[in-house]
Amino acid sequence: MGKYSDDPAWADVTPLPTDEGGPNPLAAIAYSEEYEETMSYLRAAMAANEFSPRVLDLTEDLIDMNPAHYTVWLYRAHCLFAINSDLKEELDWLNETALQHQKNYQIWHHRMLILDKLDSCEGEGEFVERMFEKDAKNYHVWSYRQWLVKRFALWENGELEFTEKLIEKDVRNNSAWNHRWYVINGREGEGVRGITDPRIREREVDFAEVAVAKAPQNQSPWSYLRGIARKGGMPLSSLKDFVSQYASLEQPDEVRSSHALDMMAEILAEEDNGKQQAGAALDMLAQKYDPIRKNYWEYRKGMLGLPSAAA
Amino acid sequence: MTVEGRNYGLPDPRLEKARHVKYWTRCIKTFLPHQYTGNDSNRMYLAFLMVSALDLLDALYTACSEDERRGFIDWIYHCQHPDGGFRMWPGTDFGERADASNAKWDPANVPATYFALSSLLILGDDFKRVRRKQTFQWLRRVQRPDGSFGEILMDGRVEGGRDPRAGYCAAGVRYILHGAKKHAPEMGDGNEDINVDDLVRCIRICQMFDGGIADEPFHEPHAGYTFCSLGCLSLMDRLNTGKYPSTDERYGPSDVQEVIRWLVHRQTNILDPGGALDSEFLGTKTAKLDPLEVDKLLTQTSDAQAVPEPSSSSAFAINTECAGMNGRTNKVADTCYAWWSGASLHMLGQPNLYDQTAVRKYLLEKTQHPVLGGFGKFPGDLPDLYHSYLGLAALSLAGSDEVKEVDASMCVSKDVRARLSGLWEAWDVENLADDAST
Repeated sequence: MGKYSDDPAWADVTPLPTDEGGPNPLAAIAYSEEYEETMSYLRAAMAANEFSPRVLDLTEDLIDMNPAHYTVWLYRAHCLFAINSDLKEELDWLNETALQHQKNYQIWHHRMLILDKLDSCEGEGEFVERMFEKDAKNYHVWSYRQWLVKRFALWENGELEFTEKLIEKDVRNNSAWNHRWYVINGREGEGVRGITDPRIREREVDFAEVAVAKAPQNQSPWSYLRGIARKGGMPLSSLKDFVSQYASLEQPDEVRSSHALDMMAEILAEEDNGKQQAGAALDMLAQKYDPIRKNYWEYRKGMLGLPSAAA
Repeated sequence: MTVEGRNYGLPDPRLEKARHVKYWTRCIKTFLPHQYTGNDSNRMYLAFLMVSALDLLDALYTACSEDERRGFIDWIYHCQHPDGGFRMWPGTDFGERADASNAKWDPANVPATYFALSSLLILGDDFKRVRRKQTFQWLRRVQRPDGSFGEILMDGRVEGGRDPRAGYCAAGVRYILHGAKKHAPEMGDGNEDINVDDLVRCIRICQMFDGGIADEPFHEPHAGYTFCSLGCLSLMDRLNTGKYPSTDERYGPSDVQEVIRWLVHRQTNILDPGGALDSEFLGTKTAKLDPLEVDKLLTQTSDAQAVPEPSSSSAFAINTECAGMNGRTNKVADTCYAWWSGASLHMLGQPNLYDQTAVRKYLLEKTQHPVLGGFGKFPGDLPDLYHSYLGLAALSLAGSDEVKEVDASMCVSKDVRARLSGLWEAWDVENLADDAST
C-alpha cells in the first residue's frame, strides 16, 4: 500500500525502517506514511550502495519532503556522477527545488558541485534573478552569486552594474551594497586594487553620497562610506562637509540622519579640542535622534573620556 | 491608561510561564506535527531546544518523569556513532545492514555532537557512555587545512559548509570534553588538539567593512554568524573584548569596537514584516504599514533630485518603549535575533549597550503567543520550537527573572554549565582505560 511497496520495479528491495532504539525517542515527528516509506527505501538503497536512475527518483522524493537531510544530497551527487546522468536536467530540477525551499543550505552546495562539473554558468544569471524576485536579500543566493563571480571570473561582466540596478530598485538593500563591496574589493588578494585605488575610491564616495541624498536615514551607504574611509586609507574628516549637510551642531533641530550625527561625532573627536563638541553630538543622539541606543552613545562618550550626561 | 502613547499605571508585561511550560511539555511528550518532517535530519537540535527550554523554565524535572528522562538519555546514546561523535537522528544508522562499504553514508555530525553533549549535560547524565577519546580524535579530522570546520566526514573528506556554525559547535564539543585546559588525557601528548590558531584566523578574516561578522570573507554580516563566531572564540578562551590590540592574531574579532557598533545597530523599531523595508512589496502591503515605516518607504522611493526634508524625526529610532533586534542592516526585527545579537553583546562584556527593557516588551507583548505559549518569529505568528526557545533565552539575557539565568556563549542555563567542572574533575582522575570507548 505505497508508492514503492506497490511498484514491481522496487520488488527486489527490502525496505529498512529506522530503529528509534527505545520507547522514549526525542523530537519524534508524526511522519506521513509516505515519508516513512520513502525513507525506509532510501535507507535500503544507501545500505546497498545502489547507484541507478531509480535512486535518483527516490532521492528526489525524499529531498522534496526533507531537504535538510545531509547525506542524501551527497548520495545523489555520487549517483549522478556514477551513472553519467545529464547534469543540465539536474539543474532544471534544482531550479524548481530552490524556489520551493528558499532557506535550505544543502541545495546550494549541490548546485556548486554540478556547476563546477559542467564548467559553465550559462543560464545562472537568469536563475539568480528569479530567486531575487522572490527575495532580494536571500542570504544563500547572494553567497551563491559571490561564488559564481569568483568561480567563473565574472568580475568585469556587468557585475558592478548589477549592484547598481538592485540598489536603484531598493536603496536599502544592504545585501546589494555588500555585494558591491565584494565586486570592487574581492580581488585585492590577487593584486587587483579596489577601494585603495584613488579613482575607484572617488567614484564610490560619489556613489554612496548620491544614495544618502535619496534616503538620509538609510544606514547602508553610511556604513559603506565608513568602510571606504577605514579600508581605503581616507581620513573620515575629508567627509566633514558632506556630513554636515545632514547633521550639524550649529543646527541641532535640523539633523536629517542619526548616522551622519554619529560620523560627525567621530570626525569632531579627532580634531584638536573637538572632544567636547563630539560629546555634544553624542548627547543629541542619546536624547533626541537615536534614544534606543542611549546607553551606547553614553558608552562612546566614556571612550572619549567624557562624563555621562546627568539622567 | 494611555498618555501620549505611553502606558502608565499598567503592570509590566509578564511571561505566560504556565503556557510556555505547557507548550514545551506537549512538544517533548507527544509527536511533533508532520510540518517538522523537513527537520527530521535536525532532530538532535530540536531535542536540545526542548530539554533546554524546560530547564530554563525550571520544569524539566516536573514535566518529565525519571523514566522518561532516562529514555531521552538512552535515545541520545542511541545516536552516538561507533567511531565517536553523534548523529542528528537514527535515520542514517543501517543497523544490521551496516558494513564498511556503506559506512560513509552514516557519518557523525559536528552540530549534532554539540547538541547531544549539551542535552546530556542538561539531563544530568554522567557521560560514562560518551566515547570521549574517539569523539575528540574525530573532531580534529573534521577541521579543514584552512582552519574551518565542516559538519561531517565522508570518505575522509570534510563535507558541509565553511561557516562558523560548525566552528562554534566544534569549540563547544572541545570545551565540554576538556574545558579550558590545555591538556587532557583525551589529547594525548598535547599535539592532538584542534588547530585553534587557524580557527581564530578563519573568524578574524570574516569581519566586514561595516564591522559585522559574516560566514565567509566578503559575505554580508549576519547576527547569527556573529554570535557563532564570538561564541566559538569565547569557548576557546580567545575572545578579545578589548583587552588585546587588534593586531594580536591569537584573539578575535579583529576590531572589537566596530563589532559593538554593528551589534547595537541591530536594535530596531521596525517590527512588522508587512512593513519591512523591502520596497518590492510596497504596492501590495501598504495597508499594513504604520506611519513610521511609510515615512521610511517614501524617503526610499524618491529620487535624488527630490530629496525630502524629513522635518519630522519619525524616521529615527525614537520608540524606546518597545524595540526588537534584527539580523542584518535594514531588516525587520525577529524574535531569534534578540538572542543572537543580545548574546553577542553579553559575550563582549557589554550587556547594557542595548535597551533590554524595550526587548523584553517586544518579546512579551509582540511575539509571545498569548494562548499557546511559546514565541513566534514575528508579531502574531504561531510559535515554533526555534523561536520559542531563543525567545526564552533572549528574555533571560534581557533581565527577566522568570527564566533561569542563561549562559551567553553556551546557550544553556548557568546551572547547567556549572555542572561541567564536576565532570572535568572526575575525568582528571580517571584512567583512560576506563573510557567507555574501550
